[in-house]
Amino acid sequence: MLEIRDLYAGYGQSMVLQGVSIGIARGTVTALLGRNGMGKTTLCRVLMGLLPVSGGTITLDNNDISRAPPHRLARMGIGYVPQGRGIFGDFTVQENLALGLSARGGRVPAHIHEWFPMFAEWRRRKAGTLSGGEQAMLALARALVSGPRLLILDEPSEGLQPSRVSEIGDLLRRIVADKHVTVFLVEQNLELVRRVASIAAFLVDGAIAGGAAARELSPRSGVIHRHLGL
Amino acid sequence: MEVLVAWAPLLLDALSFVLVLALVALGLVVIFGLLGVINLAHGELLMLGGYTVVVAMGWGAPFWLAVAIAPLVAGVVGAVVELVLIRRLAARPLDTILATWGLAIVLQQAVTLAFGPRSRSVVAPTDTSALVAGISYPAYRLQLMAVAAVVLVGTMTWLARSGAGLRARAAIADPAMAAALGVNVGLVRLQCFALGAALAGLAGALLAPIVSVDPHMGFGFLVPAFLAILVGGSATVAGVLGGAGVIGGADSLLGHWVSPVLAQIVVFVVAILAIRLRSGRTTRF
Repeated sequence: MLEIRDLYAGYGQSMVLQGVSIGIARGTVTALLGRNGMGKTTLCRVLMGLLPVSGGTITLDNNDISRAPPHRLARMGIGYVPQGRGIFGDFTVQENLALGLSARGGRVPAHIHEWFPMFAEWRRRKAGTLSGGEQAMLALARALVSGPRLLILDEPSEGLQPSRVSEIGDLLRRIVADKHVTVFLVEQNLELVRRVASIAAFLVDGAIAGGAAARELSPRSGVIHRHLGL
Repeated sequence: MEVLVAWAPLLLDALSFVLVLALVALGLVVIFGLLGVINLAHGELLMLGGYTVVVAMGWGAPFWLAVAIAPLVAGVVGAVVELVLIRRLAARPLDTILATWGLAIVLQQAVTLAFGPRSRSVVAPTDTSALVAGISYPAYRLQLMAVAAVVLVGTMTWLARSGAGLRARAAIADPAMAAALGVNVGLVRLQCFALGAALAGLAGALLAPIVSVDPHMGFGFLVPAFLAILVGGSATVAGVLGGAGVIGGADSLLGHWVSPVLAQIVVFVVAILAIRLRSGRTTRF
C-alpha cells in the first residue's frame, strides 16, 4: 500500500533520512522503532508532506505522493497524529473533531462515538483542559473521523501512564479489526508495539537497519539490543 | 438629561469613528494573525474603497450599490497582492513590511495618476436627520454605524461559528497541523488576506461621504488602527474592539474637549503604556 524507496530528507543542509526504504502492506500495523534522533519523527513529517523530500519516492497505492502537499495527502486518506498530539487547546473537543472532517466534510461518523464515547459528553470542553491521556484519545479520534485508509501515529504513548497506553492499544486493535485501517506506528514502547503491530522495523542513523516480527520483540532480544542499545 | 442632549452628538460621532476603526483594525488583525504580515498598505486598501464609491457613483450606481462593490474591489486587490507579493515573502516577515510599505506608495501614486491629487467628495445617500436621545443626528451616520456594527458582528460570528472560520482559526493557531488535517492553508491565507482587505475597502466606502476622498485618506486610519491593536491586543476579536474603543474614543472625545494635538499625545501614551503592560500574546480568535 505504502512504498518508501531510497528516501532522503532533512532540515537545510542536515540530511536526517539517508535512504529509507520500507513497504507497508494494506491492513497491517507496522511499527517503527529507533533511538531518539534517528529520524522517526522526520519520516512521519515527510510522509505527511510537512517536510520536503530531497530524494527518493513515496507511493500510496501506486500513486506518487512524494511532493503532494499535506492537505491533499489528508484528502487522499492519510490520517496523522503527530508527536505531542497537535491538539488545538483553545478549541473545544467538538471543534477539534470537526477539524478532522476538513479532509472529506460530512459529520462525525457513528463508529467514532462508539470508539470514543466520552467525547459526546465533553464536546463543549476546551481541549486544553483535558488530561494528557484524554488529549491522546482526542488526537486519535480526530485523525479517524475522516475515515483514513492509512494512519500515521508518532509516539501516541509518549508521556502516558501504563493503563492509558493499554487502553490505546486495545482501541488500535479494535480500529484495525473493524475498519481494516493500515497503521504506521512510530513508538518506543515495546509493550504497545508487541500488542498491536505485526511487523517492527528499526531506524538507525536515518536508514532502515532491519526488521522483526513484532510479537518476538522483548527487551532481552538480540535485535532490540543491537538496534536500540537496550 | 440636558447633559446627555449636549453630549449625544459628540458621543455618537465618537461611536461612528470607533466602529469604522474597528473594521479597519479587524482587517489588519485577520491578516496579521494568519499571515504574520504587518500590512502597511492597509490604509491604501481603505482608500481604494473610497475611490471605488467615487467611480461607481460616477458611472451612475446608487450609493449603497457602490458601497457593496467597494469591498469586492478591495478584496480582489488583496487576493492579488497575497498571490503575487505576500506569498513569495512568506518566510521573510521583515521583508513583507518593506514590501507592503512599497505597495502603499505604488497604490497612492497610481491613484494620484489616475484621479489627480485633489480630493473628491461623495454625496451621502440621505441628508435627513433622525431623532436619537432627543437630539437630531445625521441619518447617514446612523446608517454607517448600523452597517459597520452588522459587518463586525457578522465577521466575528463567521470566525467563531462557521466551518470556514474554524479552519481559518486553526490555520492561525497551527498551520502545519491544520494542513495535516486537510485544511488548504494556502487557500485560507488567500481568503483571509482578501477578507482583511475587503473590511478596509468597506470602511473606506462608508467613510467616503463624511471625509474627503484623496490618495492619502488611508494613512489617517492606519496609525490609529495599529494603536488600537497594540492597546487591545491581537489575541481576540473582543480585544480588537476594545482597543478601537479606547483609541477611537480618546481621539474623538479629547480632540473635541481639549485639543486634537493633546488627544494624539494621550492616545500615544495609552499605546505605550499598553505595550509596556501587555505580555506578548499571540493571535487567538
